[in-house]
Amino acid sequence: MGIERVEEGDAELVLRIRGGDVGAYSMLVARYRDRLGRYAVRMIGNREDAEEALQDAFVRAYRSLARCDNPARFGAWLYGILVNRCRTTGARTARRRRWIVHDEGALNGASHPDHGERVEWADIVGRALAKLTPECREAFLLKHVEDLEYEEIAELTGAGISALKMRVKRAREHLQRILKEAEHV
Amino acid sequence: MFDQQERDGEDVVERVIHELRRPVYIDRAVDARVMNEIAQPAPAEPVARRSVARVLPWLAAAAVLGAVLIGRPWSPGGNGADAFQFVLVAPQAASVSLVGDFNDWDPSRAPMHAARGGVWATVVSLPPGRYRYAFLVNGVEWRADPSAPLARDDEFGSPSSVVTIGGRDS
Repeated sequence: MGIERVEEGDAELVLRIRGGDVGAYSMLVARYRDRLGRYAVRMIGNREDAEEALQDAFVRAYRSLARCDNPARFGAWLYGILVNRCRTTGARTARRRRWIVHDEGALNGASHPDHGERVEWADIVGRALAKLTPECREAFLLKHVEDLEYEEIAELTGAGISALKMRVKRAREHLQRILKEAEHV
Repeated sequence: MFDQQERDGEDVVERVIHELRRPVYIDRAVDARVMNEIAQPAPAEPVARRSVARVLPWLAAAAVLGAVLIGRPWSPGGNGADAFQFVLVAPQAASVSLVGDFNDWDPSRAPMHAARGGVWATVVSLPPGRYRYAFLVNGVEWRADPSAPLARDDEFGSPSSVVTIGGRDS
């Protein structure tokens, strides 16, 4: 009983936008901002460039909306555009990369006694991630952080499933080695 | 002993994953900037494509060279852009796309067309600038252009080539 807020699905929103309701796009932006933003920050390594890549991906997706063959899978399609933007941005900014140390969770825990340790751990993780090759970092993030299936990752990246599995395996091994070394410093 | 080390290593990776899954703060102003940008007119699409049939003499030469970017613009496009033909010889390929930073590395935006002798070609309009590009063969295999310099700053790890296009007067 009562009034329930019914969220429109991606397909309905895409159809509304295609029909001229530009404002409906803000709902898709809000829906995917944080998840895709996290991927961009982890992949690129700094928030400023990540937000630029994210913004660019949203704009490009809007302008190419007619090419979104399956509006119900708008999110996956958008992911593909962002993955490409991160590749371009990552290559462009490699020389001036600076890795995020503080995230919102860490800032919120500023008064917690473990705050210092958490920030330090986040910093170690960020630096370890930065040492992976971009291919391995991309595969690792999509598989283990974004929780995508290998078939989905293959679709997004254009890489074969066996190559992706190898990249994830290498990423895990490299992270283990890097963090073990960090423990002994 | 060995098993214990392996378990410790796996535990570390799980802690990393846990850390990386934490939310990251994204400025809500991104939403406004996106909505503001899409309200503006879209930049002009690249123009000046011509049919592959017109380029067969070039393709014959390309077959000898392997892959080639024809540096001579065919015809002026919009925004100072000129049309350039990219060619790859790949007789075994079922599909080839041209991907680069000029098309967001999106294979769907510049599919190449097969001509005789396993020669694949496409024409894109590019304004003066420096571009990185590669060929995506069968949707999975990235190939640099064997006739062009390799991109040195390819942090991503996939092979890519670089081309610099000068202005009309250069």
